[in-house]
Amino acid sequence: MTRVANYVVAYEATERGNEAIELGVALARLTGAELRLCLVLPHSSAVPAKVGASASDFQALLEEQGLEWLAQAALRIPADVVATTNLLWADSATEGLLQAVERFDSDRIIVGASRRGILNRFTIGSVANSLLHASPVPVALAPHGYRAPEQITRITCAIGTRPGWRTLLDSVLAFSEGLTVDLRFVTLVEVDAYRTHATGGEAVADENESGAHLRTVLDYFSTHSRAHGDITTEVASGHNVEAAVEALDWQETEIAFVGSSRLAQPTTIFLGITAHRMLHALPVPLIVVPTGTHARLTR
Amino acid sequence: MTNIDPSRSAGATTSGLSDKGLSARSIGVLGATVIGISCIAPAYTLTASLGPTVAAVGTQMPGIFLVGFIPMLLVSLGYRELNSAMPDAGTSFTWATRAFGPWIGWMGGWGLIVATVVVLSNLAGVAVDFFYLMLGQLFGNPDLADLASNVVINVLSCLVFLMAACYLSYRGMETTKAVRYVLVAFQLVVLVWFSVAALVQFGTGTAFDALAFSAGWFNPFLAPSFSAFTAGISLSIFIFWGWDVTLTVNEVTKNPKTTPGRAATLTVGIIFALYILVAVAALMFSGVGVGELGLGNEGIRGNVLAALAGPVMGPFAILMSLAVLSSSAVSLQSTFVGPARTMFAMGHYKALPMRFASISPRYKSPGFATLVAGIVAWVFYAAMRMLSTDMLTDTILTLGMMICFYYGVTAFACVWYFRTEAFTQARAFFLKLLAPLVGGVILGVIFATTLYDSMNPDYGSRSNIGGVGLVFILAMVLFTGGVVLMLLMRRAEPAFFQGRTLRKGSSTDRA
Repeated sequence: MTRVANYVVAYEATERGNEAIELGVALARLTGAELRLCLVLPHSSAVPAKVGASASDFQALLEEQGLEWLAQAALRIPADVVATTNLLWADSATEGLLQAVERFDSDRIIVGASRRGILNRFTIGSVANSLLHASPVPVALAPHGYRAPEQITRITCAIGTRPGWRTLLDSVLAFSEGLTVDLRFVTLVEVDAYRTHATGGEAVADENESGAHLRTVLDYFSTHSRAHGDITTEVASGHNVEAAVEALDWQETEIAFVGSSRLAQPTTIFLGITAHRMLHALPVPLIVVPTGTHARLTR
Repeated sequence: MTNIDPSRSAGATTSGLSDKGLSARSIGVLGATVIGISCIAPAYTLTASLGPTVAAVGTQMPGIFLVGFIPMLLVSLGYRELNSAMPDAGTSFTWATRAFGPWIGWMGGWGLIVATVVVLSNLAGVAVDFFYLMLGQLFGNPDLADLASNVVINVLSCLVFLMAACYLSYRGMETTKAVRYVLVAFQLVVLVWFSVAALVQFGTGTAFDALAFSAGWFNPFLAPSFSAFTAGISLSIFIFWGWDVTLTVNEVTKNPKTTPGRAATLTVGIIFALYILVAVAALMFSGVGVGELGLGNEGIRGNVLAALAGPVMGPFAILMSLAVLSSSAVSLQSTFVGPARTMFAMGHYKALPMRFASISPRYKSPGFATLVAGIVAWVFYAAMRMLSTDMLTDTILTLGMMICFYYGVTAFACVWYFRTEAFTQARAFFLKLLAPLVGGVILGVIFATTLYDSMNPDYGSRSNIGGVGLVFILAMVLFTGGVVLMLLMRRAEPAFFQGRTLRKGSSTDRA
């Protein structure tokens, strides 16, 4: 593959922006991709008001500030990662980032979660949220306070039985190709979620069904995978999705993959309810992958 | 030549996707006209200015409205030249500093900030009045409308309005095009409706104090005195304030050569027609007496349409409340941007403390400057509510003075900046020298005359402190406050005042 993958990093001069850079660095170290640090500044024409404060003065100074912020951002990039900084103007941050993805033919967008998240967990900020409903490429979300490890050692892929799981697998295959990294496939089982009088037997049956599905997944993956590392499977159960996520062990050096909802357009992502709830309990970065029939496989 | 250009010192390679921050959205003549009318916010300006103008010039109001446009036009022509000669600058502060150096530049910026702070408080005051009036109309309970006259409730409601506008501005939100179109159309319809209803009542003999139409109303020189004339002109400048924006939106228009000119002409045509219609209809319906609904009634003159809408429009008066409320609310929010950006620019060039130059990393707006504008406007409002018996009238009169000041400074800045090249060709001479010079002189005369007249304790609301008119004291406090702050700034941070951050120059200088 001659093409070098590149990831758009949604930068802003806040902790959230720094966390996005950290995740960008971690992923770039894993896959050898280049980073495109993008700072989006708002278009603002002369604001129609009685005081004719034309936009130009402000715009020039804003640009200056933007370049300064990007210079600071560039200092955060370690020597082993290649990155460019880019100043963009758009009507909204989301629009600017999507334009950047198109322009750079990027493989992923990396964005920080909101600062307001508690206990190092995710709360989705508005930019991340709108990207999660419109991006044509996978969106990687950095949790609050994230710092890049020397190396990512494990990829956990949360997989369901609904159509689209195969596309998610293909995406993980493409991503992990040739890498030395462990892979873990998990399914989350909600016990007592909607059957209040569920018997122990039904729960066990659920878990068995999931186990069978995971074996199918494992077969499919083992046949196609060109990654070097251990492949494991796990069924996690809990009284809700959050509890199931917490029942699993999570390493600081791992990242998680999840497919987007069936509600998505064929080419873009749309974060489903389960994935959304997973986010609330997840202590590691999450990459949301488009699983529509026309989704493009990227590195 | 200047050091306004951003230093491209970023370590990593930097590329801009779209060349400049200017929006790619292109605006046609109609769009620019809508922007122009929306800036002027006619429903708001009329309700705030009809009373004070009648108090100054009586029935000559329509004529005064017409001539009041002349200084605005002359100065705006100069504005446009400055705007295209110094595209990186955009406020009276940067223009005046470049032309006259730091001291006058600082005061020019200060004048703009003060004018906007005063108009913010007036806008908020009108919005509060109409908010409670609307509640009263909505629930058929006049007691609700009276809540606006309770000082504590009024000042607190104003705080809520200002903080909401301040927050939206901080978040960098802008009124969308669709909303702007709807609001402008709505204002025009309601104001025409009001005028027609007033004229119909005149025709059927149910007008409050029917006054027969006279062509003499259009002769501004029949104003009672020169002082009255200048006071009227000062108010007229307030009612056209914002029109100059149509001339400077060229950066985003479809055809920068023709669109702004056509839009500005169309805007002023519509505004002229509207103002004359409303002014004549109000005169014919209410007369200039001091009766309950007379335009000379001091109790209603700060907010005339609030008092007249009910008797004129009957059950549809609530539409007027909605029109004025929406126009002042939108104006309130967008007006925050001006002072915030000026204070930001002043902070950047070290003419104000560095904190003013901070940009919110998340919303990319000048957060600190916006907040300061909001707080100062509210403190000013609260103080005026306590001190003045007719806060709205006094703020409008002060405002007229402040606008004359900073427009005047800008007009002279234009003359001085282009002084050498103005004589090279006729067009340049007219637009860059003669027009702003005459405009500036007119504004200077109005400024000096109204300042002198305002010393009289009977001026404006007749509020006075120790026998000196409140408006004069207010103007003095605002100006000396500016001078004191400037001197303090000079001591703390001399760089700007030594011309090290923003250099003085003229149009023919080359770097």
